[in-house]
Amino acid sequence: MPAALDWLQFVLAPQMINGLSIGVAVVLMALGLTIIFGLLDVINMAHGEFYAVGAYVAVALLTAGLNFWWALVLTPLLLAVLGYATERGLIQRVFHSKDRHTLTLLLTFGVAIVMEDVLKIVFGANPLRIEAPIAGATEMVGLFFPNYRLFVMVVGSLLIAAVWLLVFRTSIGAMVRAAAFDRHMSASLGVPVSTVYATTFAFGVALAGLAGVMLAPIYSVFPTMGRDFVLIAFSVVIIGGMGSIKGAVLAGLLLTQVQSISSLFISPVWSDPLLFGIMVLVLMWRPQGLFGKLGQA
Amino acid sequence: MGALASSTTTAPAHGPGGAHGRTRDAARLLALLFFVLALGFAGTAFALGDVFFLRLATEALIFGGLALSVDLLLGRTGLLPLGQALFFGLGAYVAALTLKHGGGSFWLAMAAATAVSALAGLAGGLIAIRSKGVYFALISFGLAQVVSKVVYNTRELGASDGIIGVPQPTVLPGVGAADPLGFFLVVLVFVAAVYATLAYLGGTPFGRQLDAIRTNEHRVAFLGFDPWRYKLTAFVAAACIAGASGALYPMLRGFVSPELMFFQVSGNAVINVIVGGTGTLIGPLYGSALLTGLKSVVGSYTAHHHIVIGTLFVVVVILMPRGLIGYATPALQRWLDRRGGAR
Amino acid sequence: MSAQALATASRVPAADAVLEVAGLSVRFGSLLAVDNVSFAAQRGRITSVIGPNGAGKSSLFNLISGAIRPSAGRVVFEGRDLTGAPPERMLAAGLARSFQITNLFFDLPVRENLRLAAQFIENGRGLFRGVGASRAALMRVDELIERFALQAQADELAGFLSHGEQRRLEIAVALAARPRLLLLDEPTQGMSHADTQDTEALIRSLAADGLSLLLVEHDVELVMNLSDHVVVMHQGAKLAEGPPLQVRADPAVQAAYFGDAREANHA
Repeated sequence: MPAALDWLQFVLAPQMINGLSIGVAVVLMALGLTIIFGLLDVINMAHGEFYAVGAYVAVALLTAGLNFWWALVLTPLLLAVLGYATERGLIQRVFHSKDRHTLTLLLTFGVAIVMEDVLKIVFGANPLRIEAPIAGATEMVGLFFPNYRLFVMVVGSLLIAAVWLLVFRTSIGAMVRAAAFDRHMSASLGVPVSTVYATTFAFGVALAGLAGVMLAPIYSVFPTMGRDFVLIAFSVVIIGGMGSIKGAVLAGLLLTQVQSISSLFISPVWSDPLLFGIMVLVLMWRPQGLFGKLGQA
Repeated sequence: MGALASSTTTAPAHGPGGAHGRTRDAARLLALLFFVLALGFAGTAFALGDVFFLRLATEALIFGGLALSVDLLLGRTGLLPLGQALFFGLGAYVAALTLKHGGGSFWLAMAAATAVSALAGLAGGLIAIRSKGVYFALISFGLAQVVSKVVYNTRELGASDGIIGVPQPTVLPGVGAADPLGFFLVVLVFVAAVYATLAYLGGTPFGRQLDAIRTNEHRVAFLGFDPWRYKLTAFVAAACIAGASGALYPMLRGFVSPELMFFQVSGNAVINVIVGGTGTLIGPLYGSALLTGLKSVVGSYTAHHHIVIGTLFVVVVILMPRGLIGYATPALQRWLDRRGGAR
Repeated sequence: MSAQALATASRVPAADAVLEVAGLSVRFGSLLAVDNVSFAAQRGRITSVIGPNGAGKSSLFNLISGAIRPSAGRVVFEGRDLTGAPPERMLAAGLARSFQITNLFFDLPVRENLRLAAQFIENGRGLFRGVGASRAALMRVDELIERFALQAQADELAGFLSHGEQRRLEIAVALAARPRLLLLDEPTQGMSHADTQDTEALIRSLAADGLSLLLVEHDVELVMNLSDHVVVMHQGAKLAEGPPLQVRADPAVQAAYFGDAREANHA
């Protein structure tokens, strides 16, 4: 019995904490993706790259002498600008064509390729590391929690709650949901649909960038980090249900837990296949994912 | 995902066997042109004693085969595959292993690669085909990611280094993979055969059903045909084509690596198709040739050819979604009609 | 459910019924779109389903044609239980349908639309040979073009046809595979008066050939003129059933229709 308790306390629990801190960032990223899909019906294949850009921007700001807290605040803003420009400049050009779904997917895919190479040019191909802004660990219930991870969990949860409030409790959120539900009707009711689209895309992308900043001290920063991460983000969104906020949160937290706990039992090589396998099973059982679209929670 | 390719069929840009033969002459001409140019190129290169460009062109053709498999799915069936490199790489590995450890026969390697790809295609298809549109794209993407990661980490398969020292087989007496011109011609014949088969299929009830599925899948079931079966068949066929093309790669380069399964390769294949002309079959071949050449040229100046290709791709998607051949075919047809009088 | 019980439920002799629907229900979330509907359609006759908006006619059609699966009840076609079978099995059994919202292959020519549908009669032969080899299908296409007066439009893309021509093509496509029961979902939807009359004549001629027809229609006059048997639906349930004149005189039916009209006048 004591051995089991020990295992719980010193092996399982830390893994779960780790999983939670990653999970919170994954949820933020998945939220961005699912909001973009829920409103614009756009599969943002470049979402991973925006995540990477977020991490790199943080690196750049830190190198420029700013501290981590400035980076945390400024990066999402910069990403939002980038996202707004991308939506307005590129995505809206193919938006009105009959082939919208495929074209936007391909377009963002092309943008992803370009962005990744730009990162490689500007920052080089070697991985970079950022120091965790909060050092040390806190002891609670006999366990040591790295302070930064605690911070990530707390701030991340607050941000997720803020997004929820924004989408469901504000008039801006109501406009976005109305436009998601019926574009033409909303336009005729005076909702500035184009601006709403661009802003929403910017917002979604900013969330990805934020996730990038938050996770940068935990993982290292390298040009293809986006592509590796985007699979889990997509899996979360697909399992949770494309366009569903509740789904993104639940699936995000669950899947990262599955990932961390399973790493105790199986080699990390198999963690991606496991997640993918879960995604496929969920899709076969419930093709629309666990929950509905943006219009409903 | 009726989408992109149906915009290419509205202006009838199909090759021979397309749903409406209004541009049949122009399409046939452009297809013929490709192979004539290829032969001309080969002759010139040979006369000049070149090896590098012959091998590069052979590689372009091999990836052209992969692009054909993507076009079968995207341009004819309306499925966007973002993980076709999975089968390409699989075929490459199977061929490499067969050549290295199984006696070194060209035909055996090709057969083994195709057979394994067919099985993998069946398995992958059963998983992926149930999903529509975007989900299919993401599942195929995920499948390739997962398998490539596993291969990357499998020591028995050479892990990240892959398999090197693959012997170059003899195809026919006197013509072997070691012979630049000879192998170029072999691959050209292979690609021509695949092209001809797909073009022929387009004119059969089976091929037309794929067109119908791409155009309006919902109605197809009410006509008495189960779209799932047709999509699965197309998927397995595409996997075989991709696998067979992949098998040629180690014969050309003497090695295989997990990179052959990476998203890069899948993505490039899709780009080749879109730039060349979705649904035109010959377009993807032109696309592969063009982009391989472009990569080589740009690559001699900078390692960052991705920006160039990525930007070109974005421009094409926004401004010319039907691709080069998608626009060239009706334009050529108009010119032909004016010259010879409409037939 | 025995044939006897089915017969009682539908008040039509079982032997003559090409289609029997028993206790059919479907629920969408909390909405009971079709509520325990039972009736039968006689072979070689024209049966119509009418009812005010929202009565559940389209859902009923979707249930019968295999587009959606019922929550309860049975669909029996020519004595075979085909409840919940997918559309391709329905067609293989001999049941075809047209759509209320034109559902053609708009990017393909008229001829190709018909050929795709007619290919079914080839039964898988010649699947991998050139389309020219499918003689039976091609002959059927010519027949249909002739019958439906689509010669002028044969090589046009279906999307470029006028609305009336498209509705005609819609029926032709449904007919191509030689079904024994044809479900027509609001065939005169959006049609001009002239086109409606042509369609009425067409339906009559189809019935004269021995085809069994099940119609959903909004045009009550058309239904009264054409039908041998009428089923009235209201709010998902069957309200009345019988020959046209009997149904028309039924006070419950009148209340359902006029009740709606009265509300419309007050709206």
